[in-house]
Amino acid sequence: MSTKLSIDRATEEKMNDILDWIANKCKSLGVENYDAITFSELSGQSRFSNNSITTVNYLLTFESMVYMSKGKKRIVSLITSTERESLEKTLERLYNSMITGSPDSEFAPLPKGPFNYKRLYDSDDSLLIDNSEYAARAIDAAIMSGAKRVAGSLQGTMQKVMLRTSNGVDTSDIRTAYTLNVRAFVDKDASGHGVAVSTSIKGLDVESAGKQAGSNAKNALSPKQVEQGKYTLLIGRTVFANLVEAIGNSASAFSIESGLSFLPDKLGSEVAVQTFSLTDHGQVKGGVNSRSFDDEGLPTHTTSIIEKGVLRSHLHNSTTAKKWNTDSTANAGLIEPHPWNLEVSSGDSSLEEMISEVKRGIYITNNWYTRYQSYKLGEYSTLPRDYAAYIENGEIKHSVTGFRVSDSIPRQLRSIRMIGKERSWVKWWEVHTPVLCPDVLVDDVTITRAT
Amino acid sequence: MASLQHDLAEEAIKAATSFGAGYAEARLHFNMQQEVAIKNGEFEPPGYSESLGIGIRVLYKGAMAFGATNLLTKESVRELAERVTKNAKASVKQFRKKVALSEEKPHKAKWGAVEKELLEDVEVAKMISSLKEIESELLTSYGASTLPFRLIAINLLLEEKFYANTDGSRIESRVPRVNLFAVLTGMDSGNVVQRFVQTGRSGGWEVFREGRFFERVKEEAGTIVKILKNARKFTPGKFDVIVGPEVAGIMTHESVGHPGEADRILGREGAQAGESYLSSSDIGRQVGNENATIIDDPTIPGSSGFYLFDDEGVSARKRILIKNGKINEFLHNRETASEFSLKSNAAARANQYSVEPIVRMANTYVEPGDMKLDEMIKEVKEGVMIKNFMEWNIDDKRFNQRYVGHEAYRIVNGELAEMIRNPVLEVTTPRLWSSISSKSRDLVFDSATCGKGDPSQGIPVWHGGPYMLLKDMYLGSR
Repeated sequence: MSTKLSIDRATEEKMNDILDWIANKCKSLGVENYDAITFSELSGQSRFSNNSITTVNYLLTFESMVYMSKGKKRIVSLITSTERESLEKTLERLYNSMITGSPDSEFAPLPKGPFNYKRLYDSDDSLLIDNSEYAARAIDAAIMSGAKRVAGSLQGTMQKVMLRTSNGVDTSDIRTAYTLNVRAFVDKDASGHGVAVSTSIKGLDVESAGKQAGSNAKNALSPKQVEQGKYTLLIGRTVFANLVEAIGNSASAFSIESGLSFLPDKLGSEVAVQTFSLTDHGQVKGGVNSRSFDDEGLPTHTTSIIEKGVLRSHLHNSTTAKKWNTDSTANAGLIEPHPWNLEVSSGDSSLEEMISEVKRGIYITNNWYTRYQSYKLGEYSTLPRDYAAYIENGEIKHSVTGFRVSDSIPRQLRSIRMIGKERSWVKWWEVHTPVLCPDVLVDDVTITRAT
Repeated sequence: MASLQHDLAEEAIKAATSFGAGYAEARLHFNMQQEVAIKNGEFEPPGYSESLGIGIRVLYKGAMAFGATNLLTKESVRELAERVTKNAKASVKQFRKKVALSEEKPHKAKWGAVEKELLEDVEVAKMISSLKEIESELLTSYGASTLPFRLIAINLLLEEKFYANTDGSRIESRVPRVNLFAVLTGMDSGNVVQRFVQTGRSGGWEVFREGRFFERVKEEAGTIVKILKNARKFTPGKFDVIVGPEVAGIMTHESVGHPGEADRILGREGAQAGESYLSSSDIGRQVGNENATIIDDPTIPGSSGFYLFDDEGVSARKRILIKNGKINEFLHNRETASEFSLKSNAAARANQYSVEPIVRMANTYVEPGDMKLDEMIKEVKEGVMIKNFMEWNIDDKRFNQRYVGHEAYRIVNGELAEMIRNPVLEVTTPRLWSSISSKSRDLVFDSATCGKGDPSQGIPVWHGGPYMLLKDMYLGSR
């Protein structure tokens, strides 16, 4: 018998109480601007390996993010206390820290509400807590497709968010998210990976993810080594999502100010081929990180970051927007603006068509451990893992292993030759921001290996 | 600082047992973090976070379940214990392989890191003035045009725990830590050089002075300027390579510590951080030469990874992972130890109340040798010294790794020669550890945050070592 739970009325009352305590305390302390966000999260997770569940996890947590300012001095905090006395004590400590701090020349007041919010995404009314049966179905699907050993995790979360600010915002939202990450092994050097992401348990296709992992593991058998050099790289969507997330993070004004972005600060710059477009959605159907308002209370919306290869927008909160003399894109993050749900526009090629266009190349389906020599230049390397294949004269020849992609993201964006027409949502251990992503074909990518 | 209500942990394990759990443990876990950061001369708003909650883990007929909440009333804790035990019961069928824990001696203890100046007493103003001093020194010495991007942060971290289990363990602890993190970007005539700096120790605010944090940032900025002005493009080839303690440290962490984690060897991290090139029968396997002795020791005073009891109540000890080139022991928690029919060597750690303890490293290092760096350089006719690194990664079996040099020099006829840009060492694990021909007598550690687990848990560690001379290595170039 499966257990479904939801954020109940008592929990909502508790969240409201917490917001009242924060608001009242901020007022009594003489805070000029406050922003209080309370999160309540229910979570159920099944982890598995060697075809068996290894642990089942359950969480019920409350967190409050409090921002306060007075006379251009600001402070931000994250607190888990749910008791009035200790919460108020912490707020006093915060206030005292704030007033002994440094005034902020970049200070911008919080947006003036109230605002009208429109909800554009779906969520379940309750959360399936003990989801081990679904995890077992993924394991069985992978085994049916040829896997000998299967590992992974299935996590479901339901998150209620309430926001109240000193500038007239008082709103709330709720979302559910399920993510399945499944990896199948046929032997020690042959593995495949599958991902499923959905805003509802009904929409979570555990069998397909298991099947994909199993069949890719089988394809990965008897891998050969690949020589170092330049190749055309067919980048599977799970890998590309990892790079796209880096592009999204690079679009944040905070990243640019910190030297942690390879995107230019000048809008209108050509940064990619004309066929490449990237947008960020504050809320979108299927986007598991959707919310109708940002951390400052602005209604979230869609922002075109790169349109037909041209940089159209950075991501801003009120502070960075003021400094850059523009409007917030409703991507707060009180300190750092961040993407919500990224979407790469689809192309017009099937996977088979892309393979057929490759003279000498490699197809990679998964990666991990992306690290940078310079974020400013976007110079990075990453390790392909799971099924990868050598392609010659338009045909897959054999699986390959033991190599590394060593390149620069800005160069790759200018070298995309084809973009897939099929896309799916990717979010897993190496991709934190959900990305609706196609496969892409990129020319002249440097491949290295240990000697 | 936190008021840990021990009675809630007692209530949790009592309730879990009454609902049918065969084994139960509870961990009250408090984390506080205070951060002040300066970006290009402007202060970011100070950040403060604290979390306090309880994590409960139970075993029911071979099914393991974990749950956590920060609702800290007796009623909520009882409800959580019931929910966690119910989850274990409901999932028994899906545990196709039953989980067991090694038998361990219960302990009653109270321990902590040595601290002179309590973190609770450090005012934001003091952190701000320390950062102002660093920023001003950087600008005076190097100028904003050479170092246009400067992000520097001081972090104070406090971790307090109370642990109880049905075996009888009751353990209380307090570990304060002070860290400095910086991203420095230098630019000159179209050249860009970037460096991440992380340094830290356990202890009170005195660590900021004693750890020479200020001097470290200044030295790093100076090195960036030197690289921008002097470093030349490097021609790939075979060289004898001296790597600095920072490189030796990351090598031990990535290619010895991680593959030696027994949960990875057993496949438990297969879909996330990956598995290992080692298998459970590899104790005694030769993976390096006689100079390769690598240790992980949680009990080093002042270290970032310091602890005396792990998060399963097991007493910590030094672990020799590789002894003279042979695999000597793996890192275990009680679950993996049980599978290996061993006792745990206390590697179970959780970074906050809401996550379960998993197998982790603490402070991992290469045992030093007896030479001086000068003597090692004199040994090299055609070589390269890679003092530290920026880019690095390793495959998920921990076999094929890469380190890209940051501060690096050619060595010609026993002397350091010109500075070079971005030499790339890409090497397999056995080849690396079989190539050490000599080691310096230094032992220098760096602080890092190691990621593992699902949900991902960043855990404080140290890694380090001496200078190591590696013979006949191929170096590429970026």
